[in-house]
Amino acid sequence: MNSSSTRAPRTRRAAIVTTAIEHQKSKTGSGRPLPVAAYLLVLIMGLPILWLGWAAIGAALGGDNGLAANMLPTALRETAVLMLWVGAITGVLGLLSAWLVTHFDFPGRRVLEWALILPLAVPTYLAAYCYVEFLDFTGPVQQLVRFLTGATTLQDYWFPTIKSPSGAAFVLSMVLYPYVYAACRTFFLMQSASIDSAARTLGASGWRTFFTVTLPLSRPAIVVGVTLAMMEVVNDLGAVQYFGVNSLTAVIYTTWINRSNFGGAAQLAVTIVLVIALLIFTEQRARRNRVYSTHRDSTVPPAHLKLSTGLGWLATTFCTALLLAGFGLPFAELTWLASRSITPETLAMTAAAAVTTLELALAGALVAVGIGLLAAKLSAPRASRSAKGAVRLAALGYAIPGTVLALGLLQPLGQADLWINRLTMALAEWRPGLILSGSVAALLYVYAIRFLALSHSTLDAAMRKRGDTMLDAGRVLGVKGFALLWRVDLPTLSPALLAAGTLVFVEIVKELPATLLLRPLGVETLATLVYARANVSLFAEASLPALGIVVVGLIPVLLSTHFSQRPS
Amino acid sequence: MIGSMRTLAALAALLVGGTSLAYAQSTEVNVYSYREPGLIQPLLDTFAKETGIKANVLFAGDGLIERVEAEGELSPVDVILTVDIGNLANAKERGVSQPIGSPALERVPEAYRDPEGNWVALSLRARVFYASKDRVTETALSYEDIAKPEWKGRLCTRPGDHVYNIGLIANRIAVWGLDATREWLGKVRDNLAFPPNGNDRAQVKSILEGTCDLAIGNTYYMGLMLNNEAEPEQKDWAAAARIIYPDADGAGTQVNVSGAILAKYAPNKENGEKLIEFLLSDAAQQIYANGNYEYPVVPGVKASDLVESWGALNANKTPLTDVASHRAEAAALVDELKFNEGAQN
Repeated sequence: MNSSSTRAPRTRRAAIVTTAIEHQKSKTGSGRPLPVAAYLLVLIMGLPILWLGWAAIGAALGGDNGLAANMLPTALRETAVLMLWVGAITGVLGLLSAWLVTHFDFPGRRVLEWALILPLAVPTYLAAYCYVEFLDFTGPVQQLVRFLTGATTLQDYWFPTIKSPSGAAFVLSMVLYPYVYAACRTFFLMQSASIDSAARTLGASGWRTFFTVTLPLSRPAIVVGVTLAMMEVVNDLGAVQYFGVNSLTAVIYTTWINRSNFGGAAQLAVTIVLVIALLIFTEQRARRNRVYSTHRDSTVPPAHLKLSTGLGWLATTFCTALLLAGFGLPFAELTWLASRSITPETLAMTAAAAVTTLELALAGALVAVGIGLLAAKLSAPRASRSAKGAVRLAALGYAIPGTVLALGLLQPLGQADLWINRLTMALAEWRPGLILSGSVAALLYVYAIRFLALSHSTLDAAMRKRGDTMLDAGRVLGVKGFALLWRVDLPTLSPALLAAGTLVFVEIVKELPATLLLRPLGVETLATLVYARANVSLFAEASLPALGIVVVGLIPVLLSTHFSQRPS
Repeated sequence: MIGSMRTLAALAALLVGGTSLAYAQSTEVNVYSYREPGLIQPLLDTFAKETGIKANVLFAGDGLIERVEAEGELSPVDVILTVDIGNLANAKERGVSQPIGSPALERVPEAYRDPEGNWVALSLRARVFYASKDRVTETALSYEDIAKPEWKGRLCTRPGDHVYNIGLIANRIAVWGLDATREWLGKVRDNLAFPPNGNDRAQVKSILEGTCDLAIGNTYYMGLMLNNEAEPEQKDWAAAARIIYPDADGAGTQVNVSGAILAKYAPNKENGEKLIEFLLSDAAQQIYANGNYEYPVVPGVKASDLVESWGALNANKTPLTDVASHRAEAAALVDELKFNEGAQN
């Protein structure tokens, strides 16, 4: 979602028409309302963060800093340690696997090349539950150990504790490495093979080429992938809670829920936003230094060097192990548990949650794509610099953890409901009740904030690729405003709209923390159902809905591999 | 096309569904429940049969009180069913409750209801020690005992800031005072086998694993695990442990409650009060006792046979309002001692 999009070259004729239209526009001043709409979008998307900032300052001024001060050092440390470990592990594994599949030929490479991104279908919290089921004392591995050694308790033998910070780092890395893998693979495929060939021609060995040429060059791609993986770490709530890691998100949750301390939670939430800002800043800097130059004619994908039989099988084993750890194991575990737990009750429970989830995800996708289209129009190539900046700011919600967004939305929505009801009472003696805070409206809002980047970037890329010729043609023919959107934008962008909708749909199905906190009472989605069961040590009962989430999660993974087997 | 129309209709229904409770008729009562459907639904069905009042119940997880607070005067809820003195007291502090005007409250001992009647306990649960059958020989333990050095590396519990543990620590502050409790909690922390995580059931699993000898947990989980047909493995977990009632021979075991709150803006206040009265009846109390292995709060109603088999409960007499008033101090202690990071010495 973060890959850089290249601007399609404009044809000369289009450029002339464009200039003419822009000239005309600047005379009539019709381009001016756009930035206002962009600022409004920032305000709406940024409401929860603004509210939290306000609440945090309010709590600080009220002298209520004890809690945040007490919790913050631990929370920051545990979050940072987890992020660094996940960053390091995903960085190494992702880079290595991407390098192998793009530069070498070994048994099973063709399948592995697309299959290695499958772990993206497994949300972090599900990976956590599955790994605990698998590696915990009562899981099959330790049962086997005890069977073989005759041991009865953990005092008789040593086994790593999965429910620990290091266990969390391992499990999260196993499902997050595809971010690095995908970024590096795309990069390698775009990169000119001539650089590699040059190094080889000059006599550098495979490893030496890797360390002196490939690694330094691919640094920006690694940073992009690792940043995305780290953002998932910060966003995660289910896994860290299950593993007993006192990370920022987990501490915000307990501060709010167990201690009812909104001000303290707001202060912690503001901290998390600062951590993320730092991450994004680092990532942007790394990307700015991306200075590799490719001539279009020389972007020949690297030739697949044939590995010797031994090395080839080693590569196969490595990549297969990654795939099994990130996808095979959770999928198999869920299938096994689900097959044992199929009863009329679990089926009914799953079906009800599935219907709710699908409805929510569909509505959420429609909203997010609608706003994404608006944002893409506002940040169209011709838009002013400030409008583009504003849209970029508005789309930052993808980086803010769902827990934080939910925390920041609950009070303003409740307040808005109160105002609406007072207004309708005054005007018509009618109380509509909780319109925003107690309904799915709150969820649709939070989804829009969190997944705007997803739909916007997809549509923005498509619009750039399409260029402005069609719009200009429409304008020349006298179509304007909404008709232009309806008659030109929608038809020409329909594949991108569908793609954006699918991406958002799947993310909503997987989404846990925001749904958990903002759902209307009594509304149970697949994710919240799994979370609730797992937290009372009854995960097996929820394996069927969990399996449903993974299967839905496979959709975009399979679609994207279908559409981009080979970039042209 | 028809399919998508149907989806749209369903979506509209979902949107409206969130607000429809606000229009409940007077023959209805709206309930928010933290407690599981399996326990509550049969009670509400019986209530409907006896009174003709239909209960609309929404089962919700964490953050129930925060939700009701955010809903403010528009909240459709009449009765909130929740667990723990922390949540009950919190509801009063946050101003989302009102006095329950019913003589039925008199059935409940004073220690287990709010003096102003803003909440009332519906059942009791003792926070006890789960002891390993193999590795713990003691049959009686006091709270002081688990702070002693012989328990080093042998204790486990869920996180210190969970409401159940806050209730326990607040109870200790009420009994011993803040300083003595701080010292005790610090020693208990240093006896922990590993940093606190998981829930009460997970601690029993740790006993089975051999990573922990003595855990702190609520009584009814043992009953639920021993009779868990959905996940029979949990029977093995529970079989590894037995229950010790702390301070059984002394000042008594800390007891927490599940309870009911009458919402401040209850649109069907009278029906809400009728529901609470019903939940305090002998018949309903019996269901609580048998369905979830809790202790009935109304004197004279017997606990289930399984619970009785664990021994007699000598409940600590400290009124729950006293306990509740020390909750903030308890939470501050947990933070100050970094209890959730595990043993430090």
